[in-house]
Amino acid sequence: MRALLDRLGWRGWVLPVTLLALAEAAMRINPVESDALARPTDVLNAMAQAIANGSVLSLSAQTLAAALAGLALGGGLGLAAGIWFGLSRAAADAASLSIELLRPVPSVALIPLSMLVFGFGFRMEIAVIAFTCFWPMLLLSQAAVRNVEPRLLEVARVLGFAWWERVLKLVLPAALPRIFVAFRLCVGIALVVAVTTEIAANPQGLGYALMNAQQSLRPDLMFAMLLWIGLLGWGLGAGLLWLQRTWFRHSLAQQP
Amino acid sequence: MKTRAIVSSVSVSVSLLALWALIAQLEWISPIFLPGPSATWQSLSEGLRHGELLHLTFGTVERMAYGWALASLIGIALGALIGISPLLRTWLQPTLELIRPLPASAIVPVAIAFIGLSPAMVLVVIAFGAVWPVLLATTHGFANIEPRLHEVGRVLRLSPLAFIVKVGLPNAMPDALAGMRLSLTVSLILAIVGEMLASQEGLGLAILQAARSFRSADLFAGVVLLGAIGFVSNSLLGMAERRALAWKQI
Amino acid sequence: MHALPRTQHLQVVTPAQTDAPLIVFDQVALDFGAVRVINRLSFSMRRGEFVCVIGPSGCGKTTLLRLLTGLVKPSAGEVRRHGAPITGPARDVAIVFQDYAKALLPWRSVAGNVSLALEAAHVAKSERADRIRHLLAKVGLAQHADKYPGQLSGGMQQRLQIARCLAQEPALLLMDEPFGALDAMTRQTLQDEMLQLVQESGTTVLFITHDLEEAIYLGDTVLALRAAPGEGSSLAQTFEVTLPRPRDQLSTREEPEFLRLRRAAFDHVKDTH
Repeated sequence: MRALLDRLGWRGWVLPVTLLALAEAAMRINPVESDALARPTDVLNAMAQAIANGSVLSLSAQTLAAALAGLALGGGLGLAAGIWFGLSRAAADAASLSIELLRPVPSVALIPLSMLVFGFGFRMEIAVIAFTCFWPMLLLSQAAVRNVEPRLLEVARVLGFAWWERVLKLVLPAALPRIFVAFRLCVGIALVVAVTTEIAANPQGLGYALMNAQQSLRPDLMFAMLLWIGLLGWGLGAGLLWLQRTWFRHSLAQQP
Repeated sequence: MKTRAIVSSVSVSVSLLALWALIAQLEWISPIFLPGPSATWQSLSEGLRHGELLHLTFGTVERMAYGWALASLIGIALGALIGISPLLRTWLQPTLELIRPLPASAIVPVAIAFIGLSPAMVLVVIAFGAVWPVLLATTHGFANIEPRLHEVGRVLRLSPLAFIVKVGLPNAMPDALAGMRLSLTVSLILAIVGEMLASQEGLGLAILQAARSFRSADLFAGVVLLGAIGFVSNSLLGMAERRALAWKQI
Repeated sequence: MHALPRTQHLQVVTPAQTDAPLIVFDQVALDFGAVRVINRLSFSMRRGEFVCVIGPSGCGKTTLLRLLTGLVKPSAGEVRRHGAPITGPARDVAIVFQDYAKALLPWRSVAGNVSLALEAAHVAKSERADRIRHLLAKVGLAQHADKYPGQLSGGMQQRLQIARCLAQEPALLLMDEPFGALDAMTRQTLQDEMLQLVQESGTTVLFITHDLEEAIYLGDTVLALRAAPGEGSSLAQTFEVTLPRPRDQLSTREEPEFLRLRRAAFDHVKDTH
């Protein structure tokens, strides 16, 4: 029993569980009518209801759809550009100034622009997410390709591979582990930007539900949404990390 | 950088600028959505010289800077304490890991609920969101002090505080500074979001209003300024980082 | 009644004190989990003695040093200094590690690294600069005071570590294979510098090495430990080195006594493997 608890890392749970228990007790003993506080049990209740009536799931689907579409668009372009710039020094140099000038624009600054062009809805959100995911994907996949053993590339040239064969058979497989790490990072970014866009402007998805709950003075639902968003982010991250450890166990000695 | 590289990168940027001007001139995209570079420049210079833009820029920068500074102080202090104590790490790590994937902007509604729509709310949101990169990086830096240095500290009989200040902090500096750079990016983003939601005077609110009024040139001008803020603040921090870590170059 | 002149630092020492050993290992045993790494280890060290410890890996040589710093406590028996058991690090016990790069602060200059020991001992700021200069001169790093460890060669980094240890004005100097990672020429230079430094200050030294000749060259006594002592003692054999001082790299190593000890040590090592 002790061993099982140790493996689950019971010590780490003591603090949050104790705090929640205290909050619950305090709010039961001293009932408070508040727009900001909610009893932990009420929060769990609200979450259970939201799951049961399907709202949380459809909201999550909206947010995730936008995130993944934006990731596919921005990340895909970033990956292509990253591979290109990784293989061609000349191309990387030529693009460097433009990248340095465009990259520092904060993603959220594009929300009003996207709103102006697309109005509200999926396209607007996807555009912002795509812009945000483009840069890390570009830089990290460029680094991943640069990191491919130059000896391998020489061998490919000597064997007479065409450039696309080189990319497909050598460069991509060799750079894949690090590209996957970049992908993991970008999934996290895509989710955060999706939620942020929904909080700031776009009336759909989990972020919007969160704001809505606050504005409707339903703190229990608000915290439930917050908890759900956190769990979603954590779950995605953990799942991808597991995938990484399984697929790339040998290629990546230690990765965060 | 080689001359050829400089020339090629500059020519690419100039070409992109020319392309932008061309598209705007030919109105392949409506000027409601895409103002040309000259319209943007006009809005920018007018706004800076006669209008509010300078004032608004300072507002956003101030907000970002205060929130970032607060987050850095708290992050480093807490990071040092947690990083150096395996005991604290065991008890606190999971809680930290749970909060980490939470989008910082998700705190905004909660902060509004507790504090209301006010400058204080924005500051709290920025600080809360920006503290995590610094905290986690500093914790990592302190947790990974070379064990030999721990021994040296014990044999020299350095007090725990002296050890943290003389050995732990310099050792964690590279990590902490990297975390602070990330925090700066987060601070700017949250400052903008905060302004938009709490209607606080600043560039964030300004571009939102410009979008609502279909003033695309003003919108672009604001975005350019925000990009500039991001660029300059990052460069400054990068320079400070290089000075502080000069010993690593060798 | 004349007062003693102030320049004379007379320490009135009783005969008992001069003969009493500084360090005593009394039936010391040390366990790592279920494994008894050191068993029934007994020996003593006189003040000013240079004791070398040799032995195969796993015999606990390195842990021996840590027992003397008080950072590790024996599982059985006692380690005594001045007759009292060692409870923790003492201000005048210094330890030189083999992996010098890891024991130095890369962000502080050479002078800054030496300063660390002075700061830890709460030496007044005004005094530090002089002491640092003096110490760096002693180890031959005076011109490199403003360089960073990353800019120094291996031998110089080790000298820097030694300088920092000397800043503690140690009565007991512990050295853990300090020259193991250096090339032969640097090693010989540092060996002689070491001998000169401890001769001047009369420091007691415990020196771990895997190099048999180094142990004989440097030491007054060589302790040979054995691994996996079982029920027996970890101390397999003690060699008394009666070679004359000061030692010389060429002539001492040609002395018949040196060669005899060398043969004895090698035979011992062969037998215990």
